[in-house]
Amino acid sequence: MTNDTNGRAPGRSARDDALDRMIAEAVRNAPEASPPEGFSARVMAGLPPMRPSAWLRLRLWLTRPRSVTFTPARVLPVLAVAVVLLAVGLFLPQGMDGPGGSATPDGPTLSTVRFVLGDEAATARTVSVIGSFNDWKAVASAMRYDSDAGVWVLEAQLPPGDHEYMFLVDGRPVADPGARLTRDDGFGNTNAILIVNGRHEETL
Amino acid sequence: MDESREAEIIREVLQGDARAFEALVRRYQGPVYALMLRSSGNADTAADLAQEAFTRAYARLETFSTGKRFFPWLYSLALNVSRDWMRRDGRDFHVFMDDASVMVRDEDRVDERQSVDDRLDGAKAFARVMGLAPKYREAMILRFRHDCSMQEVAKALGITISGAKMRVSRGLEMVRSHFKEVDDDQ
Repeated sequence: MTNDTNGRAPGRSARDDALDRMIAEAVRNAPEASPPEGFSARVMAGLPPMRPSAWLRLRLWLTRPRSVTFTPARVLPVLAVAVVLLAVGLFLPQGMDGPGGSATPDGPTLSTVRFVLGDEAATARTVSVIGSFNDWKAVASAMRYDSDAGVWVLEAQLPPGDHEYMFLVDGRPVADPGARLTRDDGFGNTNAILIVNGRHEETL
Repeated sequence: MDESREAEIIREVLQGDARAFEALVRRYQGPVYALMLRSSGNADTAADLAQEAFTRAYARLETFSTGKRFFPWLYSLALNVSRDWMRRDGRDFHVFMDDASVMVRDEDRVDERQSVDDRLDGAKAFARVMGLAPKYREAMILRFRHDCSMQEVAKALGITISGAKMRVSRGLEMVRSHFKEVDDDQ
């Protein structure tokens, strides 16, 4: 065996690489038996009707495809609160051949979610988004103030799933008044629920 | 059919349009049927098992996360159907999970006497892959034939990503070693 250190793992030779390529090509191109004629019709004939539950219908409606969802700022006694959720798409390469510099090369597919908190009068000193995705730690998700737009902004990359969150304004918990579905946290506060499905995000 | 179209189809099905599911059946019937044929070795049984896999996928479609590729999820269900059948049939379904070296079916085993005649030939390499234990074979098929990422291979096989890498690497090594032995014999 000829050892070649040109980017190969120890003990591997150019011959090994060539064989691996040949085997991979063989697997890719080998002929495969076709299913019997009319297979798909046979499958379809055996399926019962789909009867979506009320919860599923609600979830489908709320997560229906949209390019951008924008909620204008809402006025509160002190500040305006709004959440803008942008579906920015997928960014993680997949597979073992992905770039080594990727932060989480083998992790779940993440979506970028943008939180925006209106505060035109700049009355708040510190604002954070705290939620189930950052263990409710304000330090992990401090928002920055965009003085031109008069808003606090934070972009977070979240895995698919349901996430609960609220704002922390100068240490005070503030529920998102724009949330359509909320959950009492059992301590007198109200959490908004955000669904991330990998393509489109929506506040419930 | 790209992922966004698949996601649209799945939404349509979940909203009650069962007929839309046929597009997914047509798209993936080939690989699912081939998996069942590899597992059972019988065309009629393979068709029954493939049908069961699609029926199970339809019934569980609500649990599918549309942010991901449909195929690895479907393949994972199909592998479960295959395992269930093997268990019912008295075969050892652990071939997918534990030591696979003992579970190559006799009819799938490549005749050792042929080995001296084997060369760098794609058909023979594929035959060697088919002779591997299912846990290596299916990992290689997912990776090379269906262009799945290691994450998707892991998801489909219900194992860790490092486990998926190990299976593909080990499968390649086993097939490779055969050809190297042939070279050494020349």
